[in-house]
Amino acid sequence: MTLRDRAQAAMKRLVTASRTERILISASALLLSVFIGGLIILGAGRMAECQTAAYTLAFPGSFVTQFTGGSSLFAMGFCYDPFAVYDKLFLGALGNVVIDFSTMTFSWDPLNGQFATTLAETTILAFTGVAVAVAFRAGVFNIGAQGQLVVGALLTAVAMLYVAPLFAGTGVVAGLVLLPLGILFGALGGGAYGALPGALKAYADANEVITTIMLNFVATSVALYLVSDASRFKDPESLANQTKALPEFSQFPALLFRARDDFSLLALGLAVLALVGIWYLLTRTSFGYDVRTSGIQPDAAEYGGVDADRTIVSSMALSGALAGVGGAIYVLMQLGNFQTGVPSYGFDGITVSILAGNNPLGVGFAALLFGVLQSGSIVVQVGSDVPPELVGVLRGLIILFVAMPEFFRLLGRKFGTLLPEDEQRRGAVATDGGGSDE
Amino acid sequence: MSSATARLLGAVRRTNAALFEGRSTLQQGVVVVALLFAVGLTAAGLLFPSTDAGRLFTVLTADSTLAATLRLSVPIAFAALGGIFAEKAGVINIGLEGLLIISAFAGIYAVDMTGSVWIGLFGGVVASTLLAALFAVVCIEFKADQIIAGLAVWLIALGLAPFASTVIYGGKTSTSVTTLRTLPNMNIPVLSDLLVTDIPVVDFALVDIPFFGALFDANPTVYLMFVAVALSWYTLNRTAFGRWVRASGENPKALDTAGVDVHRVRYAAVLLSGVLSGVGGAALALGIGQFTGSGPTMVNGKGFIAIVAYLFGNYNPIGAFLSTMLFAGLDATQLTLQARDVFQVPRPLVRTVPYITVIVVLALFGRTRTPDAAGDPYESGEGE
Repeated sequence: MTLRDRAQAAMKRLVTASRTERILISASALLLSVFIGGLIILGAGRMAECQTAAYTLAFPGSFVTQFTGGSSLFAMGFCYDPFAVYDKLFLGALGNVVIDFSTMTFSWDPLNGQFATTLAETTILAFTGVAVAVAFRAGVFNIGAQGQLVVGALLTAVAMLYVAPLFAGTGVVAGLVLLPLGILFGALGGGAYGALPGALKAYADANEVITTIMLNFVATSVALYLVSDASRFKDPESLANQTKALPEFSQFPALLFRARDDFSLLALGLAVLALVGIWYLLTRTSFGYDVRTSGIQPDAAEYGGVDADRTIVSSMALSGALAGVGGAIYVLMQLGNFQTGVPSYGFDGITVSILAGNNPLGVGFAALLFGVLQSGSIVVQVGSDVPPELVGVLRGLIILFVAMPEFFRLLGRKFGTLLPEDEQRRGAVATDGGGSDE
Repeated sequence: MSSATARLLGAVRRTNAALFEGRSTLQQGVVVVALLFAVGLTAAGLLFPSTDAGRLFTVLTADSTLAATLRLSVPIAFAALGGIFAEKAGVINIGLEGLLIISAFAGIYAVDMTGSVWIGLFGGVVASTLLAALFAVVCIEFKADQIIAGLAVWLIALGLAPFASTVIYGGKTSTSVTTLRTLPNMNIPVLSDLLVTDIPVVDFALVDIPFFGALFDANPTVYLMFVAVALSWYTLNRTAFGRWVRASGENPKALDTAGVDVHRVRYAAVLLSGVLSGVGGAALALGIGQFTGSGPTMVNGKGFIAIVAYLFGNYNPIGAFLSTMLFAGLDATQLTLQARDVFQVPRPLVRTVPYITVIVVLALFGRTRTPDAAGDPYESGEGE
């Protein structure tokens, strides 16, 4: 058995054993985070000031007191109602869901604006998520997806400002040429910005965790510089730091959804294609094999003839390019120009990837979950007093719990044999490429 | 020469050795070029004060530059010291940024509640230590991947602090509270009289010393920082606890064999990183008297710069402090440059200078030797 075969066999074992476990752990992590998030809402509800309590916790509960007739022994009012918050967060993201229990009817128009927002967020998060996943699988921790997305978005917006007017009045042709071109600019910008920390890691041994974080700060500052002055790319008509709006024909067509919802099924389709494509690349090609072996066992990979340095640079370039495409879509679908203050798609991409066990196909589901959280947080913000930063806390908690599979294994052993008990598979979610797919 | 001076010189020599040991000629060349540049700038500044180089020299040597450097150093230095303890013990604490954020908010909240700046500082330490304790349990007890768990600590704080601020103050930015600056300067024995009162005969006070005068007119946390650096160095290198911490990061098995509980040492080290970062974060917020929670919050990457500072300083508290001074000095210089409008460099670009420096420094001096067992969970042989 050659080293290559042995590595392959080891990976196969890892795969089949850990997939179910990964799903269970992710689901438990989500549940636990929601539970702790609920406690935080209650705690915050005690600190906030309000006229009437939105939620009252009483012991014994109303079920008992209505029979005994007396008042409850203990009652405490809270300004926020966690159930209402989660109802808004999760169902609000779907928009206009009506469940009538009396007639047992369920009605939902999937083309509503809030659901469009959810899908738009999902689309971009799928790109940043898979970007982080690719790097992760190569054993590189790309915390810089945010910066790569910013660079991709900025390059797309600025380049399109010059290119788009050339195609004015050419109808459908404009879209056919401009959209791929815009995405290409995004990929080039993000790819170059991702290759930089990759090269620094490969050839100068500079820790990528630190360099990518620093490059995020640099990207944000340089973007601010470029769009903060009319002598550069700032729209002179606007007070905000943003570029001029791109012409309508250079942006994604709405398809089915309303144009003002800033979502295009075409972009979502692209995201799905990207996920499947990356999954294929990682699992069915020799480049993917090199990436995965470098991630799991760098020394063995090198021994087996993989050029480790080149793999690091190319996987980081690919990772950055994917994040950059996310940025291009953000500009060409949602904004129509570049604005400073880009939402934290890149950081959420890390959460998405970790939740998905760095599996490109799993990234789709995790991105949808985070799309729901993001879009739902807008509903929470509009419809309640609870600050939407709660979603940020949930995000952190989910990562924290997903990072500790051992905790859930312990629970699993305590409460039956839900989880496989193989001690060998410890630390399945790890910085060394960890996960698996197929 | 007193023995204290001898020891100090020894420490400096060791720092030098640590800086140059194993460095390539390219790296040594960069250091030499940097030194030559400094000498050249000094010469130009003294000889031709009206040139650009001269004005830059004036800014660099201004009292306000050193004062700002010291002020900006405090959060970075404390977080870096904390990071050293954790990582030396074998736990990479990448969540320092999160610890700074949470203690910055908690510090302000505690002052707002009690009115005492010192209780505020304490409140920040408590909050940061609690978060560090959570991180410790997750990493040590449940063997979580330290990088991911550290990232989680950062993200939790990044969400929680603005969340709490919005709940309590109705916005991501808190109300203003008493700052550390309004406190009287710390009384340094013997020197205290020399600080602000003129010495009768020569009519001169220590604060009037050019450039270094800022050293005698700083807020209390600056002096606390000097004490913490010295104490950390002493603890790590001269005490039994320091030996355990180092062994826990290098060879936990040996430490276990010697009868010391590796988990307890690691818990202590991670909690210590929480305490130290807590001082740093609270000092940052209390220096300004307000918590700003928008964007990357007021901490704005200082926790990550702290990590680079201790890597650059090769895990030596004194080395980490010197590199902190370097990064903070860059930041202070750009602040002063902007305030005095010396060069027409746009603010957002100047702001990138410290970050780019960190990247360059890391690229040139990236190969620091991390402790052998850093990042690995340790499982004692007894329980199995």
